[in-house]
Amino acid sequence: MLVSLRWLSEFIDLPSNDPADLSGVLAMVGHGVEGYEAMEADWKGVVVGRVTAIAPHPDADKIRVCQVDTGQGPEQIICGAWNFDEGAYVPVAKPGAVLPGDFKIGQRTIRGVESNGMICSESELGLGDDQAGIMVLDGEPELGIEFAGLVELPDVVFDLDITPNRPDAMSMVGIARDLAAYYGITYSIPERALVTVPGATNIEVHIDDPVGCRRFVAHEIRNVTVGASPLAVRHRLAKAGVRPISNVVDVTNYVMLELGQPLHAFDAEKIVGNTLRIGRASEGETLVTLDDETRMLTPDDLIIYDADGPTSMAGTMGGLRSEVSATTTSVLMEAASWDPPTIMYMSRRHGLRSEASARFERGVDPNLADLASQRASAMVADLAGGEILEGHVDEIATPTEPVTIELALGEVKRLLGVEFSAEQVARILTSLEMSVAGTDPMSVTVPTFRPDVTRPADLVEEVARIHGYDKFPETLPLGVSGGLTVEQRTERKLHQVMVGLGLSQAVTLPFVGEDDLAALGRHDEVGSLLTVKNPLREEESRLRPTMLPSLLGALRYNISYGAASVALFETGRVYMTSPDPDDERIPHQPARLAWTIYGPFGVTGLRIDGLESDGNLSLAVVRNLIRSLGVEHVAIESGAAPGFHPGRTAAVSIDGSLVGHVGELHPSAGRAYEIPGRVAIAELDLAPLLVPPEDVLMKVPSVFPFVDFDLSFVLPDETTVAQLVAATSDAADDLLEGASVFDEFRGEGIGDGRRAIAIHFRLRSDDRTLSNEEVAPVRQAMIDAAASLGATLRGVA
Amino acid sequence: MTDSSRLDEALAAAPAAVSGAATLAELDAVEKALLGDTSAIGEARRSMGSLDPADRPRVGAQLNTATKEIQGLLASRLSELEAQDEDRRLQDERIDVTLESITLQSGSLHLLQQTMNDIVDIFVSLGYQVATGPEAELAWYNFDALNTPPTHPSRLESDTMYLDFGDPADEVLLRTHTSPVQARWMEANDPPVYIVVPGKTYRLDTVDATHLPVFHQIEGLAVDENITFSDLKGTLAHWAREFFGPKTKVRFRPHFFPFTEPSAELDVSCFACDGGEPTCRVCKGAGWLEMMGCGVVDPNVLEAVGYDPAEVSGFAFGMGVERPAMVRHGINSIRHFVDNDLRFLRQF
Repeated sequence: MLVSLRWLSEFIDLPSNDPADLSGVLAMVGHGVEGYEAMEADWKGVVVGRVTAIAPHPDADKIRVCQVDTGQGPEQIICGAWNFDEGAYVPVAKPGAVLPGDFKIGQRTIRGVESNGMICSESELGLGDDQAGIMVLDGEPELGIEFAGLVELPDVVFDLDITPNRPDAMSMVGIARDLAAYYGITYSIPERALVTVPGATNIEVHIDDPVGCRRFVAHEIRNVTVGASPLAVRHRLAKAGVRPISNVVDVTNYVMLELGQPLHAFDAEKIVGNTLRIGRASEGETLVTLDDETRMLTPDDLIIYDADGPTSMAGTMGGLRSEVSATTTSVLMEAASWDPPTIMYMSRRHGLRSEASARFERGVDPNLADLASQRASAMVADLAGGEILEGHVDEIATPTEPVTIELALGEVKRLLGVEFSAEQVARILTSLEMSVAGTDPMSVTVPTFRPDVTRPADLVEEVARIHGYDKFPETLPLGVSGGLTVEQRTERKLHQVMVGLGLSQAVTLPFVGEDDLAALGRHDEVGSLLTVKNPLREEESRLRPTMLPSLLGALRYNISYGAASVALFETGRVYMTSPDPDDERIPHQPARLAWTIYGPFGVTGLRIDGLESDGNLSLAVVRNLIRSLGVEHVAIESGAAPGFHPGRTAAVSIDGSLVGHVGELHPSAGRAYEIPGRVAIAELDLAPLLVPPEDVLMKVPSVFPFVDFDLSFVLPDETTVAQLVAATSDAADDLLEGASVFDEFRGEGIGDGRRAIAIHFRLRSDDRTLSNEEVAPVRQAMIDAAASLGATLRGVA
Repeated sequence: MTDSSRLDEALAAAPAAVSGAATLAELDAVEKALLGDTSAIGEARRSMGSLDPADRPRVGAQLNTATKEIQGLLASRLSELEAQDEDRRLQDERIDVTLESITLQSGSLHLLQQTMNDIVDIFVSLGYQVATGPEAELAWYNFDALNTPPTHPSRLESDTMYLDFGDPADEVLLRTHTSPVQARWMEANDPPVYIVVPGKTYRLDTVDATHLPVFHQIEGLAVDENITFSDLKGTLAHWAREFFGPKTKVRFRPHFFPFTEPSAELDVSCFACDGGEPTCRVCKGAGWLEMMGCGVVDPNVLEAVGYDPAEVSGFAFGMGVERPAMVRHGINSIRHFVDNDLRFLRQF
């Protein structure tokens, strides 16, 4: 809300007008200042003058010679505008004045006649775009005074962020009230007397919806003359960000800004049947609003009807056919109380959020309607003439009574941490126009303009707010049993392991596109994704069932900017349409660890190319991770998953349960993502990786000599290395200290469907030196065990 | 010339000969010349047999002394030459330390993760536990349990992403803040409660330099007997000083949130200019940075989870993670956080 300091000063005499000070105070009472603008007149040397005589120019038809009195007797000024007569009060730029655009005014001679300055138009002063001629001023301002004063310049306009619980604060009165409470001073509403004439409006109002409309007040003003508002009114509206329209319409906005009650002016003669009825719309009804748009109404819309149907959208926008126009002579000034949610939904549904809807959706005080209608009617009479009929409409469908709250003094200390006396509390609450009876507990009656205050805690907030948040001490309570859980610590360790291996952590958006799933060979899942009902953009409508598209997208992004080597990992959630096992009301949304690695990896340098980012690398990463975290009972077996290379993928199981896959991106997915070359990928459930390992019992390193030997086997492809190592290791029993594969070979001399695997074995006993005689049979047993898998010693027929 | 005088002569010439050997090979030759068969000592040794037996011990002792003396000279020269040799070899092996000829790849933790860890650790050191919860959440926990009525604007479809899941009566959405974890935690645990909740949150937002549909928050909640507004102030002031530095000042301004009463906005003094520097890149002269919303837990929130608001009270706060990270590191667009450009990620 924009608040002009000059206007506000009509309501309260502030101890300081310094905008920085005032910003601080406004913030401290809860009205955050988004910013303020110090407004200065964009001109110098423009004063008020009166045209005392007008004569034709002897040598030009289109300009006239005026005598203008600026307080020191008439001076001659040539003027090309014709929209004024002798006696008009006008702004005069005297010689030496400077107008906007650094336009310097001097004494000139125009076609042989001297001109001592210039009579100014709105546009010449940068005040508006009225091209009709020079500005003719209202009333009889003092001659020679600075014209800037008439439009209240200089001024400061604050942009306030009024919180949604404070309908009352969206007004000059509300801001003045809070400032008065803060400073401990008083404020007042400028006088505007209501003068009525006998007689009553013949318009009747029926409220069919007592929830939608609690109260409807309306005064009728007859014999008005619609025209422009005075300069001062128009400029106050302009500073508040409201466009001046006509005196009657401007009054509705002006009084709304003063009091916080939005108003609507009907052309009373265009209310068909002299009856207004308030109710919900029926399906199919339409209303042409005063912006000339045809609105399709819904049964949730709250509408004001006359005998011909809808004529206004409650609290949102008036109808075109009952609009106040230049020919209106009779005005019905409505001040109503509309249901906040109804206005909130209706204004958004129709894209008609406005100053009025912003107030109604916060909840305008129903007991303000009468004052607002009276004040607006009185102002119409002041500005547009006419008579206000004494008999007016005041329909109360649902009365609104003040609430009374019992406040125990101890509650203030319990919630704020500071002891307040009953006198202190009473003083603060009274300054906010609440009435207080008793001391402890005190009985507090809250005016209806504060619908946000209904409970003791709300009163405590008011005490804190007006006392000043800055005056409370800082105390530091400590928790009782803090710390990270084992799983949380392990997740941090996992992050560090991945970073140590050379991967960078990514954070991606959890959405997925149909194309992504198709690229990974998962088209069949497109129809069974968890979806957003109301997405802003199509690409944010589906939640990912897999992390891979997000990371592949990030990989592609890096490649597009020239990256040759990319290693990313992420821990995040995927989303399923199945229910969460722990809470079936919400979707299953397990956390996953995933990675994508592309280009040379690991150690690089001069003549060192780094590792190829293929399935083997993914396997190395997962093995390292498992060792580092101490994850137990892990099985890594040949596996398959959509989007993964069918021959270069492993299924990872922990405790017999599948936790995910590691391997290499399927080449067709790589083509779809336009990623050239191999990509190491993986996606694993996170939770099983974070299970704390059981306590490890130490194995004493043997001090006895070792025996090393190599065996090279030829084995059929259906036998895995893991099987071969397991069988030979079992045969060596507890003498085996280590077995490491150092070569794999296919080709000549091996035979189709077979490969050679060379293994380096080390035997060592815990308690003795092994003799050759002891080793030989063990070695033979290992060879025999391999033979049982179809593996023969290489070079041995 | 007698043998003995030849020996003396050889002995006298030995130091110069030994020190004149510039290489190990030359030293070998000198050794041969001084101690070999054809040397004065060698010849003297060979002629021992022809000496009068009575002279043999004396001459033998002379010879031994001379030999030891020469051997000593040779040994010390040898170690000199070996040291020189090693020096030369080490010189030859020198590397240009400015050339990074081997790179052991390293990754980086995402800046948001680092920031969350930093913030969480401050509260952990105050005795807080870390809680997490679902991101696809019931509207009940996200709104109702937090005293946000069905007509509150934040529940509008224009602000919140609703999901097509389950029973339409149990509306499911992508949580708009980390606060639903408060409600879940309190439902499952009795007071006292001291928790922080880091995590992802979602809002319908058009992507621009400061908005993303997904962002991160850290929520805090303390519920215990006699937790007060002053406790909230002290706790967040402590956080601000730990996070931004010991000179950081804090300012609490009244605000409104459905789930707290009284509610406040916390501003911290600008860490970059200490306040009031008109051209400051961080605060643009305001001197203060808006950090988070906070307040004393609304009694309705405590009641919704079965706590007695007459018995316990609490405070809650919720801060964004992106914004402090952006102001601290001069990040000009929130999109950098999710572009995952390694040139960005690896700076931190």
